[in-house]
Amino acid sequence: MAGFSNAAAWAAAVDAGKTHVSTFRKTVASAATAANDFVDYTYFAGNPAANFYASAPLEAAHVESIRGIHIPQMAGAERQFLKSITAMSAASSATGTSNQNQRQMLADYLLYYPFIDTDAVGELQEMVPTVALPRYAAGQVICVAQSASSAVGQFTMTYTNQDGVPGRVSQNTFTKVVAGGGTLVSSATSAVAGSLPFVGLQAGDSGVRSIESVTFTAAGGGLMALVVVQPLFHFYTTQECRRTTTGNLESYGAATYFETVLMRQPVEIKNGAVLGIVGLGNAGSLASSVLVGTIQTIWS
Amino acid sequence: MGFNSSDDLINQITTNGKADSQILQKTLVAAGTAGHWQHLLTSAGNIPAATFGGAEATFVATDNTWSEGAIPIGDQTAPATKHLTAAGASLIAAAGAPWFVQLVDMVGYAKLTTTNVSTTGTKTITMTPIGSSGAAVDRYPNGEGLRLAVAAIAAMGANAPTMQITYLNTAGASKTTLAGCVSTASATNGTILNSGNAANKYGPFLPLAVGDTGVSDIVNLTWGGTAHASGSVAILLCKPLGQPIPVPATGLFNVFDYVNTLPSLPRLRNGANLTALVYNTAATTSGGTFFMSFDYAWGG
Repeated sequence: MAGFSNAAAWAAAVDAGKTHVSTFRKTVASAATAANDFVDYTYFAGNPAANFYASAPLEAAHVESIRGIHIPQMAGAERQFLKSITAMSAASSATGTSNQNQRQMLADYLLYYPFIDTDAVGELQEMVPTVALPRYAAGQVICVAQSASSAVGQFTMTYTNQDGVPGRVSQNTFTKVVAGGGTLVSSATSAVAGSLPFVGLQAGDSGVRSIESVTFTAAGGGLMALVVVQPLFHFYTTQECRRTTTGNLESYGAATYFETVLMRQPVEIKNGAVLGIVGLGNAGSLASSVLVGTIQTIWS
Repeated sequence: MGFNSSDDLINQITTNGKADSQILQKTLVAAGTAGHWQHLLTSAGNIPAATFGGAEATFVATDNTWSEGAIPIGDQTAPATKHLTAAGASLIAAAGAPWFVQLVDMVGYAKLTTTNVSTTGTKTITMTPIGSSGAAVDRYPNGEGLRLAVAAIAAMGANAPTMQITYLNTAGASKTTLAGCVSTASATNGTILNSGNAANKYGPFLPLAVGDTGVSDIVNLTWGGTAHASGSVAILLCKPLGQPIPVPATGLFNVFDYVNTLPSLPRLRNGANLTALVYNTAATTSGGTFFMSFDYAWGG
């Protein structure tokens, strides 16, 4: 199977045009998020266009490719890898600092189940297996708010695990109070401090192939989507980019650059991948901040 | 050949003096649009603003002797080859940060004006396909690694038609860029029209067909939907060199080192006509000052 045999081959592929650069620019909605909230950047406006998980309630669906950061499709036996990510976060105002120091995760968005009612206490909300998980045998599950939610809910989900065993039961998961869609609502506790990127699985499981049902035991007061993703690469942004407008004008900002072959692993990006980013607001609200960056891929 | 080792690189630079550096400076001709890439060809500076001479809808090859202005990097005598060792960029503007800067070698362009822009339909381009003769226009044999962008070279009128380019790939097969890409209405002079902050926008370059690594011939451009009310565009044929350089804040000079990270040493081919593309996160102030430096060395 195609790959790279050495550093020279890695560099030569770029010279031969076997590379692609895409930019992304996503503006977090104006509803405030809290420090330690994860957000799903695909949910917000920009390029690529916003992904609201808007399809039939509870029916499994694939995220449209146009909602992901554009990457080329491979032909034949070619394999595409992540070469580099560069990212910066622009502040929402000349004095805003709360978008600094974000943790981020690039993921392949595989499958989602939209419009799960977090108020349906005691009801078995059965998912409809309309389509199967693409590209991977299993993935991790994120809970994306599709509305504001007014209360701390609790739920478990049943799912088929990475080995194809159905009826597995997730950890009891709390949902948080959030001001709008796009925030990940999952938490290990009733407090924001317990925010989780992924729903905890039954002991011994490493992934989810499909979700069978969701049962709430406490009402969350909103709607959410469960999304199966394949985490690809963890990165971060540091100082927010901004320029003051009064007094002595001062500029702030930093870029982070990750050359995967040097800094971690040049993870493979599979044909049809829908690339999106999950971020963690470390210092406060991410509302109206802008995440901008480039993704470079390389293939052999 | 390039360099056999780090010792060889140091010897060629320090003993044989086979190194040089250049600076590109521009004053932005118009405001840059948020989420768009922008070219600097029509901006004044050193090198001067280009006027895009030549016949309508006809490919004009450009190299480092282009009469409208080119950075005077010399050519090497075989077997020596020239390589970037570092490149850096800065932008000074009251608004627009953060930015990305992409160094490119522009191999040529085909301009479209008047009714070739203000009407929809297929606009045929006259061009002799790029071959492998060793002439400057063939510096990327059979167009290997070349990419396409549609650039405003004057202020554009209202409406945003779709655009699709038919081209010959490196094997001479007829292909088309990704369908559905949308231009930008009322774009400022300098805007890369295929880029932007919405669905069906791709930047800095139009996605090629599956499996393609370059462009040897621009066959035609087809406008669909509602035509631009007015304006002039140039189809740019470019080789991106190195990765986009992030500029997090106004006045900050950021440098990529191509030797001491992963040694990629992007090649500057004989005839290279270097210019830059800029990505605006926010709307960049008209009249902003752009600087870019690049260092290179040659061996053999």
